[in-house]
Amino acid sequence: MKALPLSGNVSSHRLEVRNLSLVVAGTQILDRVALTLPATGISVLIGPSGAGKSSLLRCLNRLWDHWEGEVLVDDQPVSQWPGGGDALRRHLGLIGQKPVVFPGSIRANVLFGLGRRQRRTTPLDRIEEVLGQAGLWREVGERLDRPAASLSLGQQQRLCIARALMLDPAILMVDEPTSSLDPSACRVIERTLLELAGRMPLLWVTHDLAQARRVAEQVVFLCQGRVVEEAPAEQFFSHPKKVESREFLRWHVCDCEL
Amino acid sequence: MRGLVIVLAMPALVLPPALLGVILVRGWPGMGQIDALLGQLSGSLLLAGIGCSLATPIALGLAVWLRLQERQAMPWLRLLQLLQGVPPLVFGLCGMMLLVQGLHWGMSLMAGGIVLAVVVLPQMSMNYLAALERVPREWTEAARSLGLDDPAVVLRVWLPGAWQGLLTGLLLGLARSLAETAPVLFTAAVFSGVVWPTSLWSPVTTLQTHIFYLAQEGIDERAMDSAWTAAAVLVTLVLIFSLSALWIRLRSLR
Repeated sequence: MKALPLSGNVSSHRLEVRNLSLVVAGTQILDRVALTLPATGISVLIGPSGAGKSSLLRCLNRLWDHWEGEVLVDDQPVSQWPGGGDALRRHLGLIGQKPVVFPGSIRANVLFGLGRRQRRTTPLDRIEEVLGQAGLWREVGERLDRPAASLSLGQQQRLCIARALMLDPAILMVDEPTSSLDPSACRVIERTLLELAGRMPLLWVTHDLAQARRVAEQVVFLCQGRVVEEAPAEQFFSHPKKVESREFLRWHVCDCEL
Repeated sequence: MRGLVIVLAMPALVLPPALLGVILVRGWPGMGQIDALLGQLSGSLLLAGIGCSLATPIALGLAVWLRLQERQAMPWLRLLQLLQGVPPLVFGLCGMMLLVQGLHWGMSLMAGGIVLAVVVLPQMSMNYLAALERVPREWTEAARSLGLDDPAVVLRVWLPGAWQGLLTGLLLGLARSLAETAPVLFTAAVFSGVVWPTSLWSPVTTLQTHIFYLAQEGIDERAMDSAWTAAAVLVTLVLIFSLSALWIRLRSLR
């Protein structure tokens, strides 16, 4: 099952990473990472724990700002992004591993990323639209003023997706979004993201190979901060070029770790 | 080994409650004439209120700044810890030289309030910082991922998420202000002659200094009874603030 094309606006945005290196407390976390995200569809970043996958996402949206190299979004360097890192992060949505909802209602959470005036003036239609895209409107449409914390974990994660979508991001980055969820919630989230991937490019971090096989169109295999292989999903899973990739697919460990 | 630990811990467990009991038992009979202490009571509360009102915005600003600085804040944290260790008497002397004598304010509510603010500032800053640090990091990261800038993160995530801890810090600051004697003795308090201060530049009578003055008259039984009553009132006030802080803290951990 791959990205499901939907009717509606399809955004076409490009993300390119050139020689990105990150050193934290003397440890090389990322080492000259280079990759290009296709204009739509799902690129999956796989690799063992500690490979630098989550760190890479935090560098791309400048949550972490002390890296070297170049990251371009639509050919614009993120280091010189108009409006700075805050504006960039509204452009590059990020969904974390665990759903994080803020104290307050479902409505307040959906609108959380907006400014004060926008929070007051956003029409219900728009809230319905983003909750619908996140596959949550049917479940919560009647109870938007209930506490967000009363939702199940899976629903909270979809609420986080809706909250990111409210900002109309160009690219969505998801960091192991199903790692804290049960299988049925995991399936719903996967389907939601697959539908979204028909609209915008998605960079999906996972160490779950089965999930990567289900969702990926493009695979970037990261090990110990290095990009070992970048290939279309079908090619990567059936005929990986690198020895390390073959080892990882077979044993779920990266040869660089041994 | 366990028995030895219990024996060693006994004084710490028994002595404070025992002393508290003695103060309350000795002071209780005089509670009927508490109206005679209303001037001192209001003076202590006014000074603590002014001190904490002045200290709170600065302490909160400092705590937010330190929280934003993260690791680079370490030297400033050390400085605050150092300031916490400075005897309040020293601040009292400085206040007397600078405000009472230097600026010719005389013994006044304002001078006492400012010195108390300086005394409680390090403790309040550390308590506020601890409250801000208890706000889950995931909240901060999620808010930043949505493009919120620093002021928005502070106003919309940290302060609402830490309000119970901040209130606890304020109550502990009030309790500490009420317990301070030396800074007040040098800058704001007189023994008698004032019931209700007419302005911020008036001197006040306070419970702390009242006990101090009366205790110097140790031979006079009536003076000592009055001192015990003042001590019981003061201890009760400190207990109210401290136990309220504890209650809020326990509630926030649920």
